[in-house]
Amino acid sequence: MSGATAPAVAFFALAALAPVVVRDAFLLDGLVLILLWGSVAAAWNVAGGYAGQVSLGHSVFFGLGAYSAALLGTRWGLSPWIGLAVGAVLAIAVGFVIGFLSNRLRGPYFVLATIAFSQVLLIVASRWRAFTSGSEGIAVPFRPGFWTLGIADKRVWVYLILALAVGVYLVQLYLERSRRGYQLAAVREDEDAALSLGVPARRLKVAAIAVSAALTAACGALWAQYVGFVDPFYVFSVDLSVRFALGAVLGGIGTALGPFVGAALVTTLETYLRARFGGIGAGLVGIYLIIYGVALIAIVRFAPQGLVPWLGARWRRPAAGTAR
Amino acid sequence: MAGRAVAPARGGHRAVSLLSVAGVTKRFGGITANREIAFDVAAGELVGVIGPNGSGKSTLFEVISGFYHPDEGEVRLDGHRLTGLSPDRVCRLGVARTFQKLRPFAGLTVVDNIMVGALTRTRDVRHARERARALLERVGLGDKAEAHAGTLSTGQRKRLELARALATEPRVLLLDEVTGGVDQRTIPGLVQLVRELHAGGLTLIVIEHNMRVITAVAQRIVALYLGEKIADGPPDAVTRDRRVVEAYLGQAYAAPAPAP
Repeated sequence: MSGATAPAVAFFALAALAPVVVRDAFLLDGLVLILLWGSVAAAWNVAGGYAGQVSLGHSVFFGLGAYSAALLGTRWGLSPWIGLAVGAVLAIAVGFVIGFLSNRLRGPYFVLATIAFSQVLLIVASRWRAFTSGSEGIAVPFRPGFWTLGIADKRVWVYLILALAVGVYLVQLYLERSRRGYQLAAVREDEDAALSLGVPARRLKVAAIAVSAALTAACGALWAQYVGFVDPFYVFSVDLSVRFALGAVLGGIGTALGPFVGAALVTTLETYLRARFGGIGAGLVGIYLIIYGVALIAIVRFAPQGLVPWLGARWRRPAAGTAR
Repeated sequence: MAGRAVAPARGGHRAVSLLSVAGVTKRFGGITANREIAFDVAAGELVGVIGPNGSGKSTLFEVISGFYHPDEGEVRLDGHRLTGLSPDRVCRLGVARTFQKLRPFAGLTVVDNIMVGALTRTRDVRHARERARALLERVGLGDKAEAHAGTLSTGQRKRLELARALATEPRVLLLDEVTGGVDQRTIPGLVQLVRELHAGGLTLIVIEHNMRVITAVAQRIVALYLGEKIADGPPDAVTRDRRVVEAYLGQAYAAPAPAP
């Protein structure tokens, strides 16, 4: 399957070197978010790309991670690291249920079921006021220290999220090169043919969704700690689920580096356009959304496989302009 | 493959039965696709399955390979009950199959396709790749290893499916329509390949429409008609069988003895 890791090494090395040179808090914040959204898109890619189980409800897992970290911290004073672990376990449990559904429902029916899941969790989180503070959301208190993840220096956050990103990237690399990865690719291509060759298709799909869920929850827990506020209407939203999928689709679904490149593009474009055109008094409020939309359409039109495969084809055959 | 001690055959008319189909009935609503079908396949045998369209050949394959669960009856491999197991379990126990409507993993390379089969028997990816390459040479696709499976011709896809199934190291191989849909020039090569596999000791059950091919290759033919077994025996006897001729051509042709 697809092989070269050099571009990924360059990508992560660049991210690692940036804080040495860059001091500007706005840019460092952008880098943290690029790496974070890249990690979630890559976590989504484990299920949506490698296993072919396209979910538009991955905010369920993200929200579970965010809420676990926030609630365990505010209610019982526990470390967000414990919250991360609890969130991951909860996400795996929900992942098993969704994975079970993936064996019953195919294609659009599965997608709708995943959306339904995120909406159910949204209702629970926003209505269960006594426990979750309901629709007010939760402000995550700043408790200085690494164990409590109260870190003011954004450069430290860059390295923390970079470690997360590299971790998720390595999981994807495993899925490209291992026995389980080959079998999962077979399930994605044709489940019945895979079964006929002895591949335990159902178990593999459930496992992929569970791993994807746990990684997404870890991202959610760290995000809650970084941003400092958890809002149910944001963390369980379909918008957020779409953002995860979008990063992977634009960058190259089923490629290890693709989700990071896609998320970097989306995050940069969004942040830049909002800063440039979004301000009140600019006279063009909302135009950034139009430009954003047009840019996304252009990518899908000209690089339907995603940016990473598109660039890869150009790199290998610079003279002949067409991809296969 | 090294044959280990085999359980006593059911019915007993064959000394060693590797695969046994016993009283298999499969219904779809009001239609009975298979009705009490029973036959044994000995180790090393090549059995042809014939019958007009809709006679239940493919349903029988789906039942043996675990994709359908029969309403009655069971399938055993070497004494182990296969019925009720999932298709992947059936494959791991030693029954592999090809599909009538070919199903290559079109987005993967040819060698990766075969590796999926090989990885059922080995955990080592490198070893699986070596096995896959050897099998590609064996079926004559050595030069296509890195091509995407979606770019192959129908004849090449047949070879790919064959190699992929062989990679799972089956004890019994079910072939659904080896020569169906390929042009005349491609047929002899495919038939030769099946012959070689059989000569190598593999047990095969082959569905085939091309009578000339199946009578030349099979040691024994099972004929189905409207879901029932109507004949079972050596090719020349089955093709002359009155009920088989009727099934294929209608009653009018069955009266005179067919010319050789």
